[in-house]
Amino acid sequence: MTAVQAALSGALIGGLYALMAAGLSVTWGTLRVINLAHFGLILVGAYLSYQLTSAWGIDPMLTLLVSAPALFVVGAGLQWAYDRFNIVEFNSLLVSFGLLMIIIEVSTQVWTADFRHIDAGANPYGTSALHLGPIALPVSRLVALGFALLLMGGGHLVLERTFAGRGLRAFAQDRTVAASFGIDHRRLGLVVGGLAGVSAAVAGMVFALGNTIAPAHAYEWFGTVFAVVILGGIGNLLGSLFAGLGVGAFSAVVAVLWDPSYEPFVLFLAIILALVLRPQGLFTRRAAA
Amino acid sequence: MLEVRGVDARYGDAQALWDVALDVGAAETVCIVGPNGAGKTTLVQTIAGLHRAAAGTITVAGVDVATLPGHRVCDHGVATVPEGRRVFGHMSVRDNLLLGAYRRPARAVHRETEARVYELFPRLKERSGQQAGSLSGGEQQMLALGRALMALPRLLLLDEPSLGLAPVIVDEVFDAIAAVNATGVSVLLVEQDVERALSAASRGYLLIEGRIVASGTTSELRSSADVRERVLGM
Amino acid sequence: MSVRKGLTSLVGVSLLLAVLAHFNTSLGVAPYLLVLATSVLFWVIQATSWNILSGYAGYFSFGQAAYVGIGAYAVAVLTGRHGVSYPVSIVVGGLLGALLALITGAIAFRLGSLRGEIFALLTLAVPFILAAFVRINRDIDGGLGTTLPLPAFPDWIGDFQHLIFLLMLAAATLAVGTALAVQRSRLGRGLSAIHDNEDAAEVLGVPTFRYKMIAIVLSGALGGLGGALLAVRNGAVQPELVFTLTVPLFVIVMAVLGGRRHWAGPVVGAAFVTVLQDELAAQKLDQWGNIILGGVLVVFVVAAPDGLFGRLRARPWLTVGVFVPVLAGLVLSGQYTELDALLYAMVAAIVVAVVVDRLRPVAASHPVPSRTTAAGTPPAVRTAPPPLSAPQPDSGRDLVAVAGLIRDFGGVRALDDVSLSVGQGEIVGLVGPNGSGKTTLVNLLSGALPPSAGTIAIDGRATVGLAPHKVAHTGVARTYQIPKPFASMTVLDNVAMAVMFGRTGASLPAARRAAADHLATVRLEHLAGQLPAALNLHQRQLLEMARAIAAEPVVLLLDEALAGLNPAEIDDAVAVIRRIHEGGISIIIVEHLLRVLNQLATRIVVLDRGVLIADGEPATVLNDPAVVRAYLGRQRA
Repeated sequence: MTAVQAALSGALIGGLYALMAAGLSVTWGTLRVINLAHFGLILVGAYLSYQLTSAWGIDPMLTLLVSAPALFVVGAGLQWAYDRFNIVEFNSLLVSFGLLMIIIEVSTQVWTADFRHIDAGANPYGTSALHLGPIALPVSRLVALGFALLLMGGGHLVLERTFAGRGLRAFAQDRTVAASFGIDHRRLGLVVGGLAGVSAAVAGMVFALGNTIAPAHAYEWFGTVFAVVILGGIGNLLGSLFAGLGVGAFSAVVAVLWDPSYEPFVLFLAIILALVLRPQGLFTRRAAA
Repeated sequence: MLEVRGVDARYGDAQALWDVALDVGAAETVCIVGPNGAGKTTLVQTIAGLHRAAAGTITVAGVDVATLPGHRVCDHGVATVPEGRRVFGHMSVRDNLLLGAYRRPARAVHRETEARVYELFPRLKERSGQQAGSLSGGEQQMLALGRALMALPRLLLLDEPSLGLAPVIVDEVFDAIAAVNATGVSVLLVEQDVERALSAASRGYLLIEGRIVASGTTSELRSSADVRERVLGM
Repeated sequence: MSVRKGLTSLVGVSLLLAVLAHFNTSLGVAPYLLVLATSVLFWVIQATSWNILSGYAGYFSFGQAAYVGIGAYAVAVLTGRHGVSYPVSIVVGGLLGALLALITGAIAFRLGSLRGEIFALLTLAVPFILAAFVRINRDIDGGLGTTLPLPAFPDWIGDFQHLIFLLMLAAATLAVGTALAVQRSRLGRGLSAIHDNEDAAEVLGVPTFRYKMIAIVLSGALGGLGGALLAVRNGAVQPELVFTLTVPLFVIVMAVLGGRRHWAGPVVGAAFVTVLQDELAAQKLDQWGNIILGGVLVVFVVAAPDGLFGRLRARPWLTVGVFVPVLAGLVLSGQYTELDALLYAMVAAIVVAVVVDRLRPVAASHPVPSRTTAAGTPPAVRTAPPPLSAPQPDSGRDLVAVAGLIRDFGGVRALDDVSLSVGQGEIVGLVGPNGSGKTTLVNLLSGALPPSAGTIAIDGRATVGLAPHKVAHTGVARTYQIPKPFASMTVLDNVAMAVMFGRTGASLPAARRAAADHLATVRLEHLAGQLPAALNLHQRQLLEMARAIAAEPVVLLLDEALAGLNPAEIDDAVAVIRRIHEGGISIIIVEHLLRVLNQLATRIVVLDRGVLIADGEPATVLNDPAVVRAYLGRQRA
């Protein structure tokens, strides 16, 4: 029973990882920008939700009305700059690492390095749990899963079913031919960068619901989130979703059945094995080139 | 339909095209023949706006497109079937076709155009859900042609449509090109299989080492000493 | 400057610094400067350690903190909790760093695709895993970090500050000395080639995997050693302090700022960044430190990715001429502390160097100096070129023997049951329509791709399954259709690389002498000192050929080496190919221009859709009806 409880609640944490991975995966897969600053945007999203809830006493979810548009603009602006200076792949790692440092330090100055959390009175999701027989599922994590399903499922449908989504996928595979059919990568890039910003706002808000916030968290997300991106297949939203749930469940089960101290190692080992055996990601269909 | 005047193209310091001039009339099929490495693909890419011309004008239906960014040239009715097909291998056949109808005017009527493409290439309909990368070479060529048709072109640029295909498949592809041409679409055909190119087109140009060295009707070209010697090797 | 001379000067500078530090009080140097200098040295070690892999070979690591942490924890656990003596635990720290690097490299360098990015992300994860491990396993450090006893040391050293300064100085000297020796060695040239173009390097015979492993292990050992000394200096170790992202931020900024292709780059960067950081702390502005460094990183990656050192060195007198007067003026004015003066003088020198470089770039704006013989080449008389595998009497033997070769890509068969042999002294023309499998065949022969089935033997040795650099050593060399020169090396050094890593191998000076002869063969000797970017397409293709023959192959594969050339250049290239052939090298040439093949080839092989359809005398083959149909245009039935 404990294993089932662990797997379920782990999978729910995985929903949060998946949300965090979504924006990274799409900008990497389609625009070839590996945007470490995305972690900074998630952090800012979490602080914005915390700040607005504390200041106005509104429902934390409503803070998205402010944080999502704000981070859309930031995300689109970042993508504009990456495109303007032709910063892709390797250089984008370096530049966005510098940007991440700046965001984290600025956050530290605004909100200090102390742990902050949304006041329990203002946070109806913080401590409540849904009970299914003997299994308890924290509401804040169910919210994370809900948003992950909504955003990533929706994003997946947009990529699969709309003209803009097809344009983006085509652009990711062959820029020249895509351009010859009228795909303007600059405009699409701005939209994608902006939407990645929105996903960061959501991930940050969801994180703030169930956790305390400190600037150092941005670093702690690195390992797991990149594992999710790579395991899911770069640019593959559904893959990231499944990878997030799987990674969450797997590490929780290892922690319960074995020993919490093995968790990072088992996880890391799994990632390495997956990388070596299937470097294109676990959930990528590979057609003949 | 298409008027090319004084076009130069270069890759860094290597010049690939020198002062190229050519015309394609409305509903005409014109071919460009020449040995490999003559600059045929560069010429197609330059007309399609994918390679910036270093000099000269490229006029499509009265509009100079030589200075437009690559993604704007198709707005003027130019669609390309690139060398080596270059279908989007990780996307389904249907998604490849729909991508062709990306720009607004084509998007509005994409269902009708899709139906017409399936009529022309029934095999694509059978495989519409399959990943394009898993198609055979001939099917991929048809998909590339269908994708270009989805853009409702007035001018179709075809770069080496017979490349790497078995002769019986090439026959099918050329029949389809003729059918498209019959609907009033102008065709500029670049082809290393000189015999086929000359029989599909009404006029042609001979491109050698980046320069147009001869032009005329296909029968004139067929009898030209230059073509016989330098391309057919006789 | 030879390695020996460089190392001697380095040790000399270190000894001088040691003496100065020892007498710091008598010289009037404030003690806090000694503390600052110790910090600088620590960061010199770390930035240099990072640069040996990430700068030289271009494999960016975000994992420097893992080496620092593992070294620090080795000392904390062994000495702090188990009473092992300091010298032992410090050495163990370095060894553990090397071991960690070995494991990381063994995993990461096996990956083929996206290798650079995946490597960077893997290294990003390593410090977090280690930190989590330490935090969870309380018995490692008792959960609160470990404090260390004061080490015992002889009186003559002075106080603890002197001791730790000397230890850091020794380690920094070791690190910088290693970086200097690596840069000027075979290993360093190989890493540089990997940085510029890993595929071309491998094909020329550089054992890329082994070199990357050596580099990462050196990097790990030095990083671990520095981390161990950091533990000694701080007297305490906590996970948050050693496994922090500030470490990679610092080392990356230092190396990017200073310059990544030269051993001195990270030293310059470390000195500047550490002093800047210290000044910010003194002004109570330390919270701005990471913001400024992040900004510096962004600006430099975008605007000046090759760093400062090249710019400073291009105008040494200007640099010194700004630095010394500003420093002296500020100190003598009495208005500024030594630290302020030092920082402002550094900034002044950097600003002047960057601004002047913007306004009047030095001839080649690239920072890598041309240490070539361009100016000092001994003229005319030169020893005869090494015999290019003189024609052997048993010309009946096949140099290339290919049987039943098949290669599939996905579901497409690019080569179907191809068998072919090439004997001594032949020039075989390989022709066929686009997409007929010519380049695939070249890739299989050079080992760049494995066949799906079939056998390949070069000079009697089977090559299927060998790494490309091993295939190269059996006697195959190739050129690329699109030239792939090593952009950071001069034309001469591009060719010298091929000699160094070729079948016989040679030291750099000998390789440069041989390279000059190969350049003469292709008539590029007048461009020996230029960087490849200065060459036109024709010259770059000739450079490809010179690099290929410098490996002293028995068979040379020319893949469309004449594509894009004008008629005069083609005639020139044909003459070069003849000269290469006369040197005793058999040639397989992929070429579309039939008139070239008519002039050159002794035999022509035709591929059509992956199948070999003709093989024989040029005249016979070109008149074969099947060939005419396939290649020159099919008749409609």
